[in-house]
Amino acid sequence: MVGAKLFTRRRDGRVEVRMNDYGRSVVKSAFENVLAAERDPNHEWHVALTGPIDPSLDQDNPLSMLARQNETSTNAELASLTIDEQFLNDGEAWAWLTTLQVALRSTAQSNGLLTDEQLAATNDEILTYVRMLQQFLFDLAACF
Amino acid sequence: MASTQPLRRTTTEGEVEVKDAVETQKPWNVIVWNDPVTPMTVVVVIFRKIFGYSNNKCTQLMMAVHHEGRALVWSGHRERAESYCVKLQVAGLQSTIEQDN
Repeated sequence: MVGAKLFTRRRDGRVEVRMNDYGRSVVKSAFENVLAAERDPNHEWHVALTGPIDPSLDQDNPLSMLARQNETSTNAELASLTIDEQFLNDGEAWAWLTTLQVALRSTAQSNGLLTDEQLAATNDEILTYVRMLQQFLFDLAACF
Repeated sequence: MASTQPLRRTTTEGEVEVKDAVETQKPWNVIVWNDPVTPMTVVVVIFRKIFGYSNNKCTQLMMAVHHEGRALVWSGHRERAESYCVKLQVAGLQSTIEQDN
């Protein structure tokens, strides 16, 4: 997967996914984890997905929180549904980008990686996973 | 018994409440917080997509988040601030709202 771009914008406007089977399996797992975390309060990523909107309030606006939950789930569902596609339209590519980003930040938060120092000191397995998601995101962001 | 004086007021002085200052509601700010993992280009793309800002403005805001730990990315009515905050959180950025001091 190293060397070639994993996502490229084609002339017809679609985003081409040039990932091998291993890369897709990593992305698929990330999408599934975001969906599971939205639905399961005991999932290790759940806390990362439910941060406050207005920290000065004891309880956030339930409508805003519902909107966030719906939109996150919709993006993750659309991303999961298109995991085997070779070409993505704009909406699908955006769903991939946001769901991958949610997965990346949830991984960081659930492992206590809140500073550069904590990230540098983390174990190789987590660091490799984080770097992989970052590379996916870097290439996908270049298509927008 | 009934007054023969006409029911006509000669002045409204003293009846009109005068306010010296116009009360305005303080705006709500949307704040984006730094994290050590999100690629800079992703932040720029998300700002551009959600707010429609120019590439230069998005890059400046991203750098402000990176260097200062947080940045004010939008300011205005509470409902819109909440909506933008939700969109940013859905896109995976750490975001909150706060009322302007």
